[in-house]
Order: sequence, then C-alpha cells, then structure tokens
Amino acid sequence: MAEEFVFDPNKNYDDATMAQLQKMEKEIAENQKLISDRVSFDSLSEEYAKEDEIYRTKIQQDLKNRYKCVRKTRGDGNCFFRAFGFACLENLSNDKSQLQRFLEVAKQSKSELVSLGFPEFTIEDFHETFMDVLTKVENDCTLEELLETFNDQGLSDYIVVYLRLIVSGYLQKESDFYSSFLEGDRTMKEFCNQEVEPMGKESDHIHIIALTSSLGVPVRVEYLDRAGTSTCNHHDFPEDSTPVITLLYRPGHYDILYS
Amino acid sequence: MASMEKRLHKELQALTKEPPRGVHVDQESISRNITEWLVHLDGAEGSLYNGEKFQLVFKFSQSYPFDSPQVMFVGNNIPVHPHVYSNGHICLSILTDDWSPALSVTSVCLSIVSMLSSCTEKKRPPDNAIYVKTCSKNPKKTRWYYHDDDV
Repeated sequence: MAEEFVFDPNKNYDDATMAQLQKMEKEIAENQKLISDRVSFDSLSEEYAKEDEIYRTKIQQDLKNRYKCVRKTRGDGNCFFRAFGFACLENLSNDKSQLQRFLEVAKQSKSELVSLGFPEFTIEDFHETFMDVLTKVENDCTLEELLETFNDQGLSDYIVVYLRLIVSGYLQKESDFYSSFLEGDRTMKEFCNQEVEPMGKESDHIHIIALTSSLGVPVRVEYLDRAGTSTCNHHDFPEDSTPVITLLYRPGHYDILYS
Repeated sequence: MASMEKRLHKELQALTKEPPRGVHVDQESISRNITEWLVHLDGAEGSLYNGEKFQLVFKFSQSYPFDSPQVMFVGNNIPVHPHVYSNGHICLSILTDDWSPALSVTSVCLSIVSMLSSCTEKKRPPDNAIYVKTCSKNPKKTRWYYHDDDV
C-alpha cells in the first residue's frame, strides 16, 4: 500500500515536482519521435480505448476514407510548428517553383525581424539554420535526410524557434489588426513574449493565421474532437485559400495528414 | 555544443560595445570562464535604488540559449524588493516560464533594471524567511508562481 502523504508546510517540494515533470518529458521523448514515419489510421485509433466511440468512428469512417495516412509528432508544446515546418518543406521539395518563392520570403524575413527590433545576434543563428535546411531541400535532399534533420533535436528546435520568431514578427507588424483578438489586457508584444517566442508554448488560431499568412503557405486543419457525430470539421488558414498541407488537430496536439 | 559558446561570444561583443545604461560586464570574470558572467548593475536615477550598486551572476548551461540562464544577485548588496529574496534569488517570469532563445543577457538585465525601477516600496517578498530556508541553491529549481507584474 502506498504511504500516506502528509503535507509538511516547512518542506520544499519543488525538487520532487520538477523531477517528476522531467521524468514525464523523458518518457514522452523515448516513446515518440519528433516527426514519425507515415503510419496508418489503425495505429491512430489504437490510441483510443473501445469506449472512446466518437474518436474511433471519426478515424475509421471519416478520416480513413479521405486521407491515406498520418505522420505523428511529439507532444512537447511545439508540435504545431514542427508539423507545419516538416510538412511545408516536404511539400516544397516536390514543388520547385514554390520553393524559389519561399526562399525569397525566408531570406527577407531576417531583415524584417531586425527592423522590428529583434537584436541581430539573437536571431541570426536560427535564421542561418533555417536557410541551411532550405538549401538542402533546394539541392534535392532525400525525404530520409529531411526526416533525419527534423528528428535531430538541435536542428529541429532551431527551426521551431525561427518559425516562432516569424509568427511574433508578423503579429507585431500587424498588431493594429490582431490586437483585438487578444484576451485580457496584454499588449501584442507581451503576448508574443509570453505565448509565441518561448519554446513549448502551445499554438492557438492566432499563431496559425500568422504563420500561414506571413509565409504564404495555406494549411487545412481537420479537427478530431467530440463535436458532432461521425465526421471531422475542418478549417482553412487563411480562409478561402487552397491548402497545400493538411494537419490533424486532436485537443492539444497537431499531426500531419496525407491524402 | 559549440553553438552555446558562439552565441555567448556574440552577446558579449554586443554588450561590451553598446551596454545599456547602468549595466556593465565584468570582463575579468569572463576571461576565466565564458559560462559564468558577473554583471555590475547601477540602481537607476529617479528610482528607489538610485546610487546603489548591485552585482548579478549569470550561469549558462550547455543548452543555452534553449535553457534559460541561471541568474541571481550576489555580493553584499542584495536589493530590497518584493520580487528579490534575501539570498539573491529573483522571481521574474522570463528567467523560467517565459524564457525564449531570442532573449539575451542584455534583455534580462533590462528587465531587472525595469523591475527595480518600477518599485514603490522597498520590502522583501512576504515568504522570504521560509523560502530562503528551504529553497534549492539553484533558483531555476524553484517552481515560481508569478503573482503580478506591477512591481
């Protein structure tokens, strides 16, 4: 039997709590690659118990009919950015005319961030890594190499940071419009400092709108949740666009879908 | 990883060339070890700390700038402030939860100067006695709760 827990107000429990959080993070990291191979929907519905009828029905009777497979991402709070980054580059590797346009946008983005007040020395390493990976795609790297890059925590996190910076830059540049979507009395700069730039902070609609608009890469998100009965709702970012990549949203998490 | 040292050298260069008002890096401390910096901080004019001198220590892990630096006040003058414990630990969200790799030593120093400057009454945090008695030596091992941004 477990020992009865008696709270001692004179004791500090921070160490124990943090150790437990770190253990959980480590377990997630060991069980889930940053970006997985393509897997079938059956492996997705296996994650839901028999009694989770709505999820299983939506996977088996809806998603499975409309999409071929899914690529899972690690649930570390960065999944939207990592899923978007990988799907975007994977798509660009098959579309050379879009790649040239994207390279230009990516090149420009650094001077835009600097003009918004980001100190050059804090952003240039992330920009460099991002451009290096794009150059790999331009030089026809294989899908395996791209997958390897995104599963190398060092490189992968550099890409995530840079995508976060792009979102922050875009929202601050367009703050006149987007400030009205913020809850509470935070300024756009405070919102970006607290909810966009730090690693591990989860993404909301506003992050998605900003990233897809600033990079010109439209995304469809399919929502796998408890709403409705047997089909998933979807939403395109920006609205009325023709999405080039599709992400699967489950409450708190994003994966990549393939049709 | 060498990227941490590369980044720290860039920051040092920027901070030495264009230091924010009242902030200067102790070059001698860094010449011994690039992963531990001593930074001198002057209490800002017009604030309750005008004329006071403080010292901050920054410690960087191999994962910097993904990991936030460990930052605390040291020396014989620890500012008396509602977010600064008498052992030098600072309760400031950008040092843990809101840290981002796009922040830097300079931005941390500026936040601390601004935190001190907006103070209206010099006093210690209400839980100072128990915190100082039970906390870890490393302030990053504390799970901070950020109550307010007003002071």
